Amino acid sequence: MAERAAGEGPVTTAASSLVDISGLSLVYGARVGTPVQALDDIDLAIGEGSFVSLIGPSGCGKSTLLRVLGDLLAPTAGSVSIGGKRPVEARLDRQIGFVFQEPALLEWRCVLDNIALPLELRGVARAERDSKARELISLVGLEGFERAWPRQLSGGMRQRAAIARALSTDPRILLLDEPFGALDQITRDRLNMELARIHEITGITVVLVTHSIREAVLLSDRIVVMTPRPGRISKIFDVDLDRPRSLRSRADERFDAYVRLGSDELEKGYADA
Amino acid sequence: MRMPDTANRSTLNDDGLLAQAFPPVAMFVIMIAAWQAVISAFAIPVYVLPSPGDIWLAIVNNPGPLFRHSGITLFEAVAGFVIGSMMGAVLGTLFAYSKFVARGLLPYVIAANTIPVVAVAPIIIIWFGHGLSSKVAVTAFLSFFPLALNMMKGLQSYDRTIMDVFHIAAATGPQRFFKMRLPNALPYVFVGLKLNVTFSVIGAIVAEFVQADKGLGFVIMTSYRTLNMPRLWAAMLMSALIGMAFFAIISMLERLIVPWHSSLHDNR
Repeated sequence: MAERAAGEGPVTTAASSLVDISGLSLVYGARVGTPVQALDDIDLAIGEGSFVSLIGPSGCGKSTLLRVLGDLLAPTAGSVSIGGKRPVEARLDRQIGFVFQEPALLEWRCVLDNIALPLELRGVARAERDSKARELISLVGLEGFERAWPRQLSGGMRQRAAIARALSTDPRILLLDEPFGALDQITRDRLNMELARIHEITGITVVLVTHSIREAVLLSDRIVVMTPRPGRISKIFDVDLDRPRSLRSRADERFDAYVRLGSDELEKGYADA
Repeated sequence: MRMPDTANRSTLNDDGLLAQAFPPVAMFVIMIAAWQAVISAFAIPVYVLPSPGDIWLAIVNNPGPLFRHSGITLFEAVAGFVIGSMMGAVLGTLFAYSKFVARGLLPYVIAANTIPVVAVAPIIIIWFGHGLSSKVAVTAFLSFFPLALNMMKGLQSYDRTIMDVFHIAAATGPQRFFKMRLPNALPYVFVGLKLNVTFSVIGAIVAEFVQADKGLGFVIMTSYRTLNMPRLWAAMLMSALIGMAFFAIISMLERLIVPWHSSLHDNR
């Protein structure tokens, strides 16, 4: 088990890194009232094809960090590179897929047209985008629901559609912001396994924001623990469990050890706060 | 999880339609019978309350003029509805996109909206003359506000996360409008249109009250002066039929254009 304390410089995996973050800081509301230091001097490298989870209590900046990667927020200082490009370039180059906590489907479009939306916005012809969307529908297990309205789907199915939509442009990196937080435990387990399977099949790099340490251990190659006020990385550790992961990975004795390791680190964050 | 079975659902709807239609039809028959009975029993004079038979005779004895006048009012209502709604939609869009225009104009628009139409109608008739165009203008004036306000609300009420989805997909400004904000506003637009259906018939008839030589408002005023109450009631009935038919058409359009929204009511 590789462990390290924060502040020893970026960690690189054996594979070359896709994401390089260095000296990243983000201050909210610098111009109005009390500024809030959401992120403070973050250094992080994410290996190509790896599954990384960002975990920490609310206010630790994990979602903020994810939104910086997705070019939804601009950092105050520091640099971010995704495959050698700035986030804005990576986004314009279709390399980013983003799944939000809510499915955020367009309720006036059927499932198929929702999944094809990013391709449609990029000007891809209908035949091509429909065939891509159908491929993704079978990947996420929504066959038979191509023409259903979003409001006719269950919460879990809506989030499956949102994942398929995020994958439609064949991005290099999939960013997920607490995607299953609103779902019940059983649905959540199933979708976690779907996510693990999609990661195995496509080899895409995944960054998952979650507040569940068990979810993070179950899915990740590496876990980044963050602490609030200001948002900092307090610990990064690798999870060395057999792949492919399944719900049985939780029976592995190492699983509990990783969960304890993460929980202890989270406890420290709460104690400081 | 149930999939919507189209065939199944339409059968359900047909059954529902029949079951829904029976109570109002039965009630109509009962009310007409009671109406006729009350008039016979208490010998109510025709100028106070004409019997259903009197009204029916007023329609069938001389149907030509009544339908011609109805056609005039229908035209004024529809033309004013279309023009006013379109202008309202444009202004509502401006409000949604420009804080300056919204803050600057909205107070005056709301103030203008509170002016009773009977006060405005004579002014508009002076401006637009004695022909049909002045009646259309009064109707458009009434149809303007509901759509402007609902359009603005609809365009502003989009989901911020969906905006993020469009940002990630590098959507252009026009794409955000046509593929997100406008479809999102359509259910609101239909709320405005349905209000306008009622307002447009009111607008046309009020304008005809002020000055007209044709239309249902004209028929109502002349019948009132000559105390020809069956004819007045017949004109009132026609105006109600115009409003109901107009409303039914807009509801049908709503089902066609925003099926995701109307399907909400069907499925529950």
